[in-house]
Parts: sequence; C-alpha cells; structure tokens
Amino acid sequence: MEQDVKQNVTDDTIIKVRDLRINIKVDEGTLTAVRGVDFEIKKGETLGLVGESGCGKSLTSKAILGINDKKCKASGEIIFDADGMGPVNLLDLNPRGKEIRSVRGKQISMIFQEPMVAFSPMYTIGDQINEATRLHITKDKKESKKISLEVMKKVGIANAEKRYNQYPHEFSGGMLQRALIAMALVCNPKLLIADEPTTALDVTIQAQILEIMKELQKDFGMSILFITHDLGVVAGMCDRVAVMYLGRVVETAPAAELYAHPMHPYTQGLLGSVHKIGTKNQDRLFSIEGTVPLALNLPAGCGFYERCSKRIEGVCNAYDPELVDVGGEHKIACFACTGCPNAKKEGKADE
Amino acid sequence: MLRYIGKRLLLFIPTILIISFVIFFVIQLPPGDYVTSYVASLSAQGEVFTPEDIAYLRDSFGLDDPWYVQYFNWIKGIITEGDFGYSFNYGRSVWSVIMDRLYLTMGVSFVILIFQYAVSLPVGIYCANHQYSAGDYIWSFIGFLGTATPNFLLAILVMFWVYKATGQVYLGLFSTEMLQNGMSWKYVPEFLGRCLIPLFVIGTSGTCSIIRTVRAQMLDEQAKQYTLTARAKGCSEATITYKYALRSALNPVVSGMAGSLNTIFSGSTVSAIVMNLQIQGPVLLAALRSQDMYLAGTIVMIQAVLVVTGMLLSDIALAWLDPRIRFSERG
Repeated sequence: MEQDVKQNVTDDTIIKVRDLRINIKVDEGTLTAVRGVDFEIKKGETLGLVGESGCGKSLTSKAILGINDKKCKASGEIIFDADGMGPVNLLDLNPRGKEIRSVRGKQISMIFQEPMVAFSPMYTIGDQINEATRLHITKDKKESKKISLEVMKKVGIANAEKRYNQYPHEFSGGMLQRALIAMALVCNPKLLIADEPTTALDVTIQAQILEIMKELQKDFGMSILFITHDLGVVAGMCDRVAVMYLGRVVETAPAAELYAHPMHPYTQGLLGSVHKIGTKNQDRLFSIEGTVPLALNLPAGCGFYERCSKRIEGVCNAYDPELVDVGGEHKIACFACTGCPNAKKEGKADE
Repeated sequence: MLRYIGKRLLLFIPTILIISFVIFFVIQLPPGDYVTSYVASLSAQGEVFTPEDIAYLRDSFGLDDPWYVQYFNWIKGIITEGDFGYSFNYGRSVWSVIMDRLYLTMGVSFVILIFQYAVSLPVGIYCANHQYSAGDYIWSFIGFLGTATPNFLLAILVMFWVYKATGQVYLGLFSTEMLQNGMSWKYVPEFLGRCLIPLFVIGTSGTCSIIRTVRAQMLDEQAKQYTLTARAKGCSEATITYKYALRSALNPVVSGMAGSLNTIFSGSTVSAIVMNLQIQGPVLLAALRSQDMYLAGTIVMIQAVLVVTGMLLSDIALAWLDPRIRFSERG
C-alpha cells in the first residue's frame, strides 16, 4: 500500500485527487454531492476549478484540508506529499488529529469567499495572522511578529505596524482579503486553496487582489487551487482549468485550449454566457436551460442529460460518461464528443 | 471609555430620583395606610380602638401629610442624614432591618450565583460540542425541566424527598439548636448542609436557562466562517472552542449578569418563604402587604440602584469583552 501511494506522486505533482466522493447525510437520505472527482496539481501551477453553485467545488476543496462539516463523509484518495510524513492520503488522517493540523495552514492553506466574516471580530488582525506563525514557525513572540508583519507588508497592507493592532471591523473588504492572504501565506505553503476569493469584492478590488495573488505566487512558488464560478477570472489566473458539474469533473484542459476549443456542451454553455466587452452583441446572453438537479437519488446516466443540447437518448441517460483523454492534456466526459460507450463500459454499468 | 463611564454615572442620579418617586407613588396608591391595616389586624384579634387612638397613631407616624410631602421628607432624610425612615412593622429604623439580613442574603445569593455559572458554562459548552449526543439530550431535558418547574414546587419536592430519605426536616438555614445556642464553629458543617437545598432549588432555574443560552450561542458561533478559518489555519479544537467560539458566545451571558447584583441583594422571595430562609425577599413581601411603606420603598429603591449599577457594570464588561462595542462607544 505504502509503495502504491508513493508511486502516485511524481516529482512535480503537489497533490493528486483520485475518485473523491463526498456523501452528505440529510433528512431525506444520502446526498452525493461529489461523485468521483479526479485532478492533480503540479508544482507552481494554478488549477482553476469552475462550476456553478452547488456543483461540489467548495466541498472538494474543504475535503483536502479535512474541514468539511461532520455530516459530510469523504472517500477516495487525496495524496499529498507532506513534509515529515511523505506522501499520505489526507482522507486517512484523523480530521481533529495532530498530523492534519500540521498540514493545515502550514503546507496547505486556504482563503475564503467572504473576508468580512473570515476573521473573528474579537481579536486583532495581527493576533489572528500571528496565530498561524506561532503555530507553525516559531513560538518566539518577537520573531513571529516580525515574520507576520513582513508578510502583511508583502500583500500590500500599508502601515502594517498600525494595522497589526486593529480589529477586523476597522478594515475594508479588500484589506481584509489581503490580510487573509497574508495569514494563508505566512507559513509559505506548498498549496494555496482560494475558494472564490474575489466573489464578495467589487470589481476594482477584485483586479488588485488577483494581481497580488499572481505576484505572490511568483515570490513564494506555491501552487494554487483557484475555485470560482467566474470564467472571466479564470482566464487571467489559471494554467489549467477543470470544469465541474453536479459533483464531477466534466472537462479539463490547459486554460488557453479550453477557451479556444471548449468541447463539453456544459463548458460551451458556460463560455457562451460570459459577456465580452467590445462585441456588438445585440442578443441576450446565452443561458443554459434548466437548473442543476438535486444530487439525491440521481437517475442513471450523465448528470447534464436533462439540460444538454447534444444528448443522445438511450446512451446519455443510461451510462455515466468518464473522463477520456482527447489529446493535448484535454480530457472530457461526454459521449456526444467522444463517441458512444464501448462494450467495457456497458459491462461496468451492468454491475 | 472613561468619559463614557462618567456620562453613565451622571445619568445615574436622575434615573434613581425618578425611580424613587415612582416607587413611592405606587406604594402609597392602595387605599388606607399602615395604621389602617394595623388597626384592622388588631381589631380582628378583639382589640378596641377609639377614633382618637387612630388619629394619634396616624399623627405620630406623620401619615396625615399629603404623600408628596411624605416623599420629600423621606428623600431629604436619605440625602441629608442617610436616614431611610422608620419601619412600622419592626418598630425601628429601616436600615437596621435591612442590615439584619443583608450578610446572610448576600452570602446565600452569591454562592448560588457562583454555582449557576460554574455548572452552566461547562455544561453549555459540552452540549454545543456534542450536539445531538446522548449527553446533550439528557442535559437539554434537565434544562427544559428546570426552566419549566416553578422553584417553590421544586423546593417542596426536594424537602419532601430529603425528609423521606433522612427522616430530618431541613427547614431554614439554622436549626433550633443553633438559634438557641447562638452560632459557633461546630455548626458550620450542618449550616453548609442546610445551604445545599436552597442552593440546588434556587440555582436550578437560572442554571438551566444559562445552559440553553450558552449552548445556542456556541452553536451559532461554531457555524460561523471564522471558525472554519481558524480550523484551516491549523488551530486545535480546544483553541477554536475556547479562544474563538466561547469568547463570542459570552456576550448575552454577560448582559444577562446585569440583574445578578439585585439577585444577590434580595434573593428569591417565594422559594425563600417555602424554605423559610431568613433572607431579604420575604421581608419585602411582608412590608408591601402591611403597607410598611418606608421599608418597602427602601428595599425596592436599593433594588433599583442595584439593577442600574448592574447594567452599567455589564455594559463595561461587554465593552471590555467585545472590541466592536468598545469602538462604537468611542465614536
């Protein structure tokens, strides 16, 4: 087992997610919110995880840190080459144990969607950033404060010494997001998970934050898992993109390739609904018909079947497509694009 | 902050004056006065009063003046001489009547207060951290039961059970032996034992409601985003519970403490009567019933002062606890 795990992580892969499934117990039964997600992130790379609300992208990212609600049960593999432990499946670690806590905040850290509520209102910003430093780097008060202040300056917080002693309600949203980024980067993590970090900010601040993130990535050399529903943001930030729909990755490709040749009907729909400045578009923006079905007692077949314009009756509603490599690191899960399921798949579906 | 406290203290004086005026007005509202009820109760026992006797009594107590003159004299006495008036019931000064029971009341109430918070905070935290566990259900059940059961009923039940179990009647804080021989150190264990029943009975209802508050608040705070941030940072569950969630959850508990000062002074009334406790509550009830107006007025006024002081103290505590309140006051 140990051997297998080690082989799974090649030199330049930071994290590898295999067949991640997350079940949530609700009153009506078990909701399968994430249904077998695969992806990996290479060193220094930014992977964009794109999808609409409720597709499981946030759950996936929180599963990496093991900070999902107790009601969520995750299975599958999240292989991470942790310092001091070697490659481990993060899902095997006790979510309240010491090992996972030495990964959280130090090797993998996370920034959140709404910076305004991400800090406790009771403690100063400095105290909360410094907490990460003290937990993972040094217990020495002077030393840790120095490190924390340095990072605060790096993320562009002017007057850091004064700001260090201020409370969250004295910060603006953009400044709080900078502080949150400082807190995430203070231990120089290998992977930064950014869960819609700019969604709650207005557009000019959004651009500033994205710019800072790109610069810091060059500085710190970390990989980023960038979660968003905004394809416009992805284009500027990400090297590769994975599109999620209803708890599965339906298409993944290098960012440029995905924008040039979107193949999955869902991706095409998403790109069609982005407004492009400069086009004389008199028509309404394209929208995908219908809504995401509830992931409870899902029927067999492709999750996008009901809303798909290219669906093949008798195939798409009978089998669930898997990711197929179509060349050039472009993978797609769609029968309409890659052809009908072969005999092997039929056999699998019968099981 | 200091300016704010100064401002609050200045407001304190008119507030108390207005309250004292209202108290006095309300207390003298019922028809008749102390002499009426005094004569009525003695007549019932066969005593005969001539109208001259009654007029003499009324004159000697100063009850013939209009009520606002009585009020003015009373307040003047308090401010100039620290004299709170005369208790008709006890036949001595109001202050000495209050002092009689002050230490005992404060002692009993203070212990009850400590007991309440010492039990309810840990239990509330436990219930929030183990939501929907067996322990949570058991404590929630006890909590609802304790909140819903009237104290005096619980007092009777507990005294009955204790009697069944030990064959002893524990009524009041002092045994007859103690009262006859005077207090000495050898009675201390028995006295403490006798304190247990009131402690349990009066403490329960408060304890239960604080448990509910703490549990609900902790759950609220744990569901907030900053808890997740702290966890993602690598904080231990203990840090999340005590440093983050508990600190925010304390706000309503601290504002709930505003009334505690008054509780310490007066203690409970109905349960105290049932358990025959020599504390302040029953004295007030008796004074109100016999229209012993200066005694009643003084007790209610002290209570008002304590409530207002308690609020000020809890506001200061809140400002110390929550930086958001601290800063909005400054502006």
